[in-house]
Amino acid sequence: MSEAVQTLTLGIPSKGRLMEATAGLFAKAGFAIERVGNDRGYRGRLTGVDGIDVAFLSASEIAGQLRDGRISLGVTGEDLLREKIPPTDESVGVALRLGFGPANVVVAVPECWLDVAAMADLDEVAEQFYRAHGRRIRVATKYIHLTRRWFAAHGVTGYRIVDSSGATEGAPAAGLAELIVDITTTGSTLAANHLRILDDGLILESCAVLAVRGENSADTRLQSVVSALSKAL
Amino acid sequence: MAGRSSAEREALARQNAAIMAVFERAGFDHIAPDIIQPADIFLERSGEDIRARTFVFSDPDGNELCLRPDLTVPACRYHLSHGTPQAEARYCYLGTAFRFPDELLSPQEFNQAGIEWFGDSNPVEAEARVMKLTIAALEAAGLARLKVTMGDLGLFNALIGSMAMPERWRRRLRHQFWRPAAFRSLLERFARPATQKRTAISAHVDAIAGQDSEAAVAARLAALNLPHVTDRSTGEIAARLAEKLADRSEAPLDPAMVKEIESYLAIEGSVTDVATQLAKLPSSPALDGARRWFEARIEALEDQGLNPRRFHFSANFGRELEYYTGLVFQVEVEARNAPLVVAGGGRYNDLLQDLGAPTRIPAVGCAIHTERVKAVLA
Repeated sequence: MSEAVQTLTLGIPSKGRLMEATAGLFAKAGFAIERVGNDRGYRGRLTGVDGIDVAFLSASEIAGQLRDGRISLGVTGEDLLREKIPPTDESVGVALRLGFGPANVVVAVPECWLDVAAMADLDEVAEQFYRAHGRRIRVATKYIHLTRRWFAAHGVTGYRIVDSSGATEGAPAAGLAELIVDITTTGSTLAANHLRILDDGLILESCAVLAVRGENSADTRLQSVVSALSKAL
Repeated sequence: MAGRSSAEREALARQNAAIMAVFERAGFDHIAPDIIQPADIFLERSGEDIRARTFVFSDPDGNELCLRPDLTVPACRYHLSHGTPQAEARYCYLGTAFRFPDELLSPQEFNQAGIEWFGDSNPVEAEARVMKLTIAALEAAGLARLKVTMGDLGLFNALIGSMAMPERWRRRLRHQFWRPAAFRSLLERFARPATQKRTAISAHVDAIAGQDSEAAVAARLAALNLPHVTDRSTGEIAARLAEKLADRSEAPLDPAMVKEIESYLAIEGSVTDVATQLAKLPSSPALDGARRWFEARIEALEDQGLNPRRFHFSANFGRELEYYTGLVFQVEVEARNAPLVVAGGGRYNDLLQDLGAPTRIPAVGCAIHTERVKAVLA
């Protein structure tokens, strides 16, 4: 089989608001996402353009499978894309920012830390905390790589990451961490947990994106999908 | 290549035997620290950069363990579990260290040969001896044309130690020494403490003025209806606000001193050049102290039969590992494409106490990356 007729695989979020918004946008652009086989299958097809298969995956899996080259394009959150794919890896690019699913990845500290406004304060606090308690301040997050890069860029070193995949914002109150890096949309969950975003604590303004692998970016089928979606936005 | 052939294994073992013979002949006790270590010690003591590269796992009881990412901490733990921590001890070791590969695709397991000298009584002399043994061991392995680079946090400490500024400013400058951008912005802040921009915390700083800071913070938290979360106490929060308040009225760092610090940090070159550059700087108590320190260092190296005039000194030179407190050095060899760092070491006087020793115990050591030595010789 020559490369020209190879089937492309498009990763589509399999559930939730991200799935609904994605299906809506594709429908507006003139494509239907069809499930193949029984209704609950994880494979499908894009109608309206030839040769594009659909894989229904979680948004996080879509980012990972794009990185590994197992799918050619996909809809996922920019936060997940930046987390899963190192900045040095240029094999995956953002073709379109889709606008829906807005979420900011932020650094948030307890509101009671009256002495902390910025990342520079955090570095001093890390040093002070280590002297007083003999252990590092802990940052609860599922964004391990984004956190490392952001903290390194701001000269903050004396911390530990605690892997947290659910209810991260509750970690400081539960005594599992001193601060968090997490996504927020309205900030109300942070406020409810008595957390405050640092003045320079906005790591990423994320939204849903259509990401494509570089080796497929010249593919005409892919280009026609991107162009139709871009008009429908 | 999943492993070494018998010929490769024997060649590495032969090379490393030559290295270890130098250390053992010098009176260093050949120990075998544990491979599996409690993870916490490494994760608390190293920065997140090392944590990111350490193999961590749990035992059936849920305790976090790790494969040692280097042998210095394991050697310290060995020392603390054998005999008197304060007694002088000299150890050497040869063993595997484990790290996830970084961007440079370094190997995930490699053999380190090294020495650690605890409780030394003459710092400059012990440091010169460690450098001498490192170089002698590399030469015994067959390397020649070694390029030695050194830096000295002690020299920097001597420099700022005699300058008029609050001790907390010195602590901040030392802390940021390894991060040039942060260091520069800190110097700028100290040069103009009164003209800092107001931030989200400025109002809280205002509020503690003229008050008992801890009581003021407690009252403010109650008034704002903010619950206390995390182990960070009201006292710790108050202490930092009090420092910010004190900074506001602090006399700015003398521009002449800022200039002295900057001209010191720009010093770089052969040790002979550096002596000349140091001589050209104006006379001041701080710089005179730095000069005397540097001269003593050169003499000690010469006493070991080394020729420090060929070494490269850089006031900015540092190592990633934050635990160094004085001398830092590395040895490079010209390899096929680029220079390759084959050994590094320095002084780390805080580590043993951090690991549980009752007092601060001086420590100086080095580690040789034996596979890199082999690669250069191949």
